[in-house]
Amino acid sequence: MTDRLENMALVMPGLLLLGLAFILPVLQMLVLSVSGPDGFTLEHFTRFLSDSYYLGILWRTVRLSALITLITALIGFPLAYIMAKSGPRLRLWLTLIVILPLMTSVVIRTFGWIVLLGRSGMIPSMLRDLGLVGRSFSIIQTESAIVIGMVQVLLPFMTLSVLGVVMSIDGRLEEAARTMGCSFMKTIRTVVLPLSLPGIVAGGLLVFTLSASSFVTPSLLGGSRIQVLAGSIYNAVTQTLEWEFAAAQAVILFVGVALVLVPYLSVTGRRNG
Amino acid sequence: MSEINLSDIHKSFGKVEVIPGVSFSVERGEFVSLLGPSGCGKTTLLRIVAGLETVSSGRVDIAGTDVTHLPPEKRDIAMMFQSYALLPHLSVAENVRFPLRMRGIGSRDEQNERVKTALDTVQLSHLGDRRARQLSGGQQQRVALARAIVSRPKVLLLDEPLSNLDARLREDMQVELIEIHKNLGLTTLFVTHDQEEALSLSDRIILIKGGRIEQEGTPAHIYAQPSTSFASQFLGSANMLSAVVEDTGSGPMAVLGDGQRLPLALDEAARGAVSLALRQEDLVLSDASDADNGAGLKAKVRARVYLGARNRYVLELAGASLRILTGNDQLFARGDDVSLTIAPERIRVLAP
Repeated sequence: MTDRLENMALVMPGLLLLGLAFILPVLQMLVLSVSGPDGFTLEHFTRFLSDSYYLGILWRTVRLSALITLITALIGFPLAYIMAKSGPRLRLWLTLIVILPLMTSVVIRTFGWIVLLGRSGMIPSMLRDLGLVGRSFSIIQTESAIVIGMVQVLLPFMTLSVLGVVMSIDGRLEEAARTMGCSFMKTIRTVVLPLSLPGIVAGGLLVFTLSASSFVTPSLLGGSRIQVLAGSIYNAVTQTLEWEFAAAQAVILFVGVALVLVPYLSVTGRRNG
Repeated sequence: MSEINLSDIHKSFGKVEVIPGVSFSVERGEFVSLLGPSGCGKTTLLRIVAGLETVSSGRVDIAGTDVTHLPPEKRDIAMMFQSYALLPHLSVAENVRFPLRMRGIGSRDEQNERVKTALDTVQLSHLGDRRARQLSGGQQQRVALARAIVSRPKVLLLDEPLSNLDARLREDMQVELIEIHKNLGLTTLFVTHDQEEALSLSDRIILIKGGRIEQEGTPAHIYAQPSTSFASQFLGSANMLSAVVEDTGSGPMAVLGDGQRLPLALDEAARGAVSLALRQEDLVLSDASDADNGAGLKAKVRARVYLGARNRYVLELAGASLRILTGNDQLFARGDDVSLTIAPERIRVLAP
């Protein structure tokens, strides 16, 4: 009994912090999202869901997040595989390089992309000079800019999640596959990829939720015309001061992410269970 | 014609040369063991045949084709790993089907038929739907064997496949391996550090030491006539005694370090300093009085290990320690003086 009390006492500070700093505000937000001048109302939700402008923002948020997740997986998996197969020294250096972007502020990194991608930035002007694109070509303030910036920010999450799993795959399995008639690429496809799936799922979850809720990079690289949900929430809070509407959007973001993640998890979870 | 042929294989890892020039061949349908202590290069040789290691120089032929620079998937082989290497995300049946699927052998129906036959061969057809991880070690081992024989490869490579099994299962699997080998007529190259396994399974044993072939021959030959002290110690863990061979009126005689004399076979040609290899099971232990009468060597019991059916004694003789195996009929205790005899023709005289 005393053990249990002791355990409770140890858990209490964490629980208290979680309750006061997280659960309470979330509940408050839930309440806020359904409150109007005359008490309970769903008008904030109907406003959002009946306006094609807001629905467009929601769709863009989900679509871009999915695309970012896919691209980080496409880059992160081979990168993680190479890291797993390299010697400990090289792996240390590669790990450092992968997590290096996380050590600078997201704002600074995003400004870096603005410098590179801006109308007179290095990349567009180079492409223009090479004659590959027209004079009016621009990357900044497009969805492509958001995707490029976000992929760089979120790649470490994917890479490191996959790395942990790939490292734990027994190298003999790949050798066995080779002796059973698999070429290198076929081995990757039939052995390494299926066994790395838990890591890709975990990384995908992280990347998808982080990009769906991210605000700084999309608003700086996408500009005010190309809004994502987090930006729209920010506007409602700071510009138009419609806190109830902002709360409703936050709930929709949460539900939207959950709607994507639950089927994703149940499909991949069953395959690995 | 030889099914596997290695000629003048050299292999270095970095600056360390682990295989300093080895040649051997395996005939079609032959069961050959590469036997040696761990780190002797035997597994490296097997992996070179499989194509999992490249060679620094030399040539590898399988079934008359130069495969030195072919990747493993282009060689007509199957390999069984010590850790079984079953694919954990596939069912047992899918694991066995894997080589057929990857090599594009047969239609779906033919593959099913072959998988069934292979699983029948190892008596596991009732477990086809299980995941590999849900099976016991012995069962996983059988699945690995089924997977290795399902594509009917020209060459079967076995990398210590029995060393993770307990003693009973290992004996069962040995019998099974021999039967499968004979029934399918597979050419088999088997790597092991276990001399009993090599002796009981092989048509021929190649003893490896330090990346070189120490001796090769049939199990009976290599056991009865080891040509070096390493061979006699590794196969049958013989006791080694240094001695000097002298001629006497009654034939050659070995003089031990403490002056005791041991008669050798009359046709023994070696003279001077030698090593005597005395097998544990050839040495006969008797009461010390026998030695006093001039029949046998005087020795002292240092320890006795009771093994159930037999006893192992550790004896002290001429400053060396000897291990011998005896029955239960006569027991000696630690510190007893005993007499030790051996038939002269059972003594193997080797270079020191």
